Amino acid sequence: MKIVAVTACPTGIAHTYMAAEQLEKTARKLGHSIKVETQGAMGIENKLTEDEINSAAVAILAVDIAIEESERFDHIRKIKVPVQAAMKNPEAIFAQI
Amino acid sequence: MPLDLSFSCPLPNGVHARPASALEEVARSFTADVLLLNQRTGRSANAKSILSIVGADIRFSDPCLLKISGLDEERALVALGAFIRNTLPRQETALPTFATATGELQLPRCLEKSGAVFRRGTAVVPGIAQGRIVRAGGFNVPDGLPMDGITDVLAEQRRVGDALDELIAWYGRRASAAGKGIESDLLVAHRSLARDEELRTCLFEAITTRQRTAAGAIADAEARFTKILAASENPLLRERVLDVRDVCAQLLQRVYGDATATRSLTLGEDSIVVADSLTPCQFLFLDCRFLKGLVLAEAGTTSHTVILARSFGVPTLVGVEKIDGLADNAEAVLDADIGALVTNLTDTAQRYYSMERQRLDGRQAVLRNFSGKRATTRDGHAIEIAANIATVEEADRAFAAGAEGIGLFRTEMLFLDRAAAPDEAEQHEIYHRVIEAADGCPVIVRTMDIGGDKALSYLNLPPEHNPFLGYRAMRIYRHFESLFRTQVRALVRASAYGELRLMLPMVSTLEEIRWAKKIIAEEQDRCAAESKPFDKAMQIGTMVEVPSAAFALNDFCREVDFFSIGSNDLLQYFMAVDRTDSRIASLYNPLQPGFLRLLKQIVDTARANKKWIGLCGEMGGQKGYLPLLAGLGLDEISVSAPAIGGLKAELSRLDLADCQQLFASALGCATADEVGALLDKFSAQHSLPLLAPEMIVINADAATKEEAIKRGVDLLYIHGRTEQPRAIEEAIWQREATYSTGFGHGFAIPHCKSGAINANSLVVLKFSQPVPWNSLDEKPVRVVILMAIRESDGASEHMKIISALARQVTHESFRDSIEQEQDPARLCALIKSKIGC
Repeated sequence: MKIVAVTACPTGIAHTYMAAEQLEKTARKLGHSIKVETQGAMGIENKLTEDEINSAAVAILAVDIAIEESERFDHIRKIKVPVQAAMKNPEAIFAQI
Repeated sequence: MPLDLSFSCPLPNGVHARPASALEEVARSFTADVLLLNQRTGRSANAKSILSIVGADIRFSDPCLLKISGLDEERALVALGAFIRNTLPRQETALPTFATATGELQLPRCLEKSGAVFRRGTAVVPGIAQGRIVRAGGFNVPDGLPMDGITDVLAEQRRVGDALDELIAWYGRRASAAGKGIESDLLVAHRSLARDEELRTCLFEAITTRQRTAAGAIADAEARFTKILAASENPLLRERVLDVRDVCAQLLQRVYGDATATRSLTLGEDSIVVADSLTPCQFLFLDCRFLKGLVLAEAGTTSHTVILARSFGVPTLVGVEKIDGLADNAEAVLDADIGALVTNLTDTAQRYYSMERQRLDGRQAVLRNFSGKRATTRDGHAIEIAANIATVEEADRAFAAGAEGIGLFRTEMLFLDRAAAPDEAEQHEIYHRVIEAADGCPVIVRTMDIGGDKALSYLNLPPEHNPFLGYRAMRIYRHFESLFRTQVRALVRASAYGELRLMLPMVSTLEEIRWAKKIIAEEQDRCAAESKPFDKAMQIGTMVEVPSAAFALNDFCREVDFFSIGSNDLLQYFMAVDRTDSRIASLYNPLQPGFLRLLKQIVDTARANKKWIGLCGEMGGQKGYLPLLAGLGLDEISVSAPAIGGLKAELSRLDLADCQQLFASALGCATADEVGALLDKFSAQHSLPLLAPEMIVINADAATKEEAIKRGVDLLYIHGRTEQPRAIEEAIWQREATYSTGFGHGFAIPHCKSGAINANSLVVLKFSQPVPWNSLDEKPVRVVILMAIRESDGASEHMKIISALARQVTHESFRDSIEQEQDPARLCALIKSKIGC
């Protein structure tokens, strides 16, 4: 399955990137293809294109703060979780798909 | 027929010492008896006695009655009526609030639940001290002084009466010498207590009716009045207990001589000395080996003592609350960092302060690596780092801290708080000792900067409207020529022993220099005629602290050998700002581009004339300004001893060319903020590596998460990566409040962005005993990787590395390799290789 995701934590120093890594690892393990955009202290990295979002089955938003350009996800199914959930039990998020 | 005057108390804080003293002033100018009756309590008081008035415990809106009877009762009624209507309501305004700490005490996390007792105060000298509470000052009848059994009642009364008169006169003289201000107010208040009718009556009665000696009578009076005041519900009155004590102590000293003075205090173990007030002489008499901390109730009267405490590095608090409840000999910590005196030291508190000692000692140990070396930039350019001192005792401390010379010996301290100026022999001895301590290094002695705010009773200088712009320093020398000659002669003679340089303060015109040089030459001729040895080539220089000097420097260069920029006064005069006025203090900013251009002009002029130039103001002691000052092109920077090691360490990381470029760019800035931003950027580019072996601890020890975070942040402080560890701790805890950074597997990554961090930093702590962390998997933590990032850093190189590290720690293999490696250097290399830095 094609999945897109965004991670963003309050300081943008650590958990944004840890959560991204967790989602990528877990997706690989479960045989999904995933692209994770990070919105942290360095701004938006690995930015999702419109095409990538439109062709994805679901968007996982592991965010603790309001993200930038959230309107991009208006027309796609979303699973919104706290960053902690992506850290603690990422497989549970994928189970919701 | 007595006349009545009724009123209700208009003062929100009640009739405390100040309004009582004002009422007493009016009442005592009439012969009529004036009785003050508090109709709420039924207590009556003699209105000619402050002690009696305050004893009536009059509170806001209490109904009161004045009963006036005597020959001039009608005139007294008119005067007292006017006083009650016009003067009394205004007595509320001038309460001294300067030394009272306000706001909540912000405790570090480790101490929040420690159970220790904290008394707030205002820190005036930083540091942390532990020791037993020893009271100085105050009132104490020495053992062996008889208290009873006198036979000649009249003689004893005369003895006490004469001493009291002497004391009243002395307070009066001191008060007028002190000019206007808190010191003078306090002395006037003490004088009022000393001449209080109740006090005299009480003393005489004790002698007549109970055959008490002077000592016994004074002790009784002290006990009686402090009891009345201490029982008051008004905190302002309770504070006056200390005043009564002080007056009684002074009186005792006048009757029996210096044997009873507070100076006889001796310290036998590590001590925190607690005093109402302490004179510089009393301070210097305390045994420095055991004097670990100082707590003063009053700061305004003891500013010179505070300066001394600062130069000796004795942590000091002023205005500490509830000081009377302190038990003598109790173990306490004076923590100037949090601004409190701490007692009831529980295990948690003891652990905290043992960590604090490790933090402070750790920093010292790092700095000691530099103290023995010459201060140079990384590319080998030397800038002398010298010390500012005020007493001979400080010289040794300064050289032990790595001073390469004395850049400023402020001699005015030798002249203050004494009955007469020190003579030539005494001064000569002091200068000689400083030169000996310098052991060949240069010693710049600044001739006395007296007058203005530093008045001397024996000079009888009248109080000034605007002391900083007035009759002080160099400007008084002509009038007090013999005083100046004596100092010059002592210095000329001392020049025989080493590299002594004489510096003139507050020079604003060429004529002043010429006049002083003439006196110096005459004194040198006299020494030659008397065959006394001296250095004919003794250098003469001036302070550059008046803006006019900066623009006359070319001419000055023909007359003098060197200059030292007094940045405090120069900035104050240049910006026309009194930095003690909080409303305008922000203008007092050495980063003002105009000020930097002024500095540049001064240094360039000195350079063009091949004159040596240093800087001896507070600006020099702040590490953050060092790149600018190095770029400015100074030969020397002179600072207080504790700052020397840090400056040397910082200088060793800078390249001169970079600093010069920075200074040139700063000159082009339009605002102080722009200069600040430039300086920030510079320090980010020239900072320490993100991770270094010294930032890794293998067998760390912490009982709690609070302690673990403190350990990590303390390491940042020890290695000069922050000057404000508590601000960083707080930022980390704020982040921790959103959710725990213990992400499981025995790992935690506490982190923050903070303006208080100088260099982006990683700290790795591996704990010998796991630390509870309320982690996501609820397991304790064995490894902490702490990340502290500068506030201003966005998409920097360092952030990329940090994000790579954050991704890495989610991998078991990375965590395993960290857990297995037990050598800091190898662990550092391992982490760096994994995250690409």
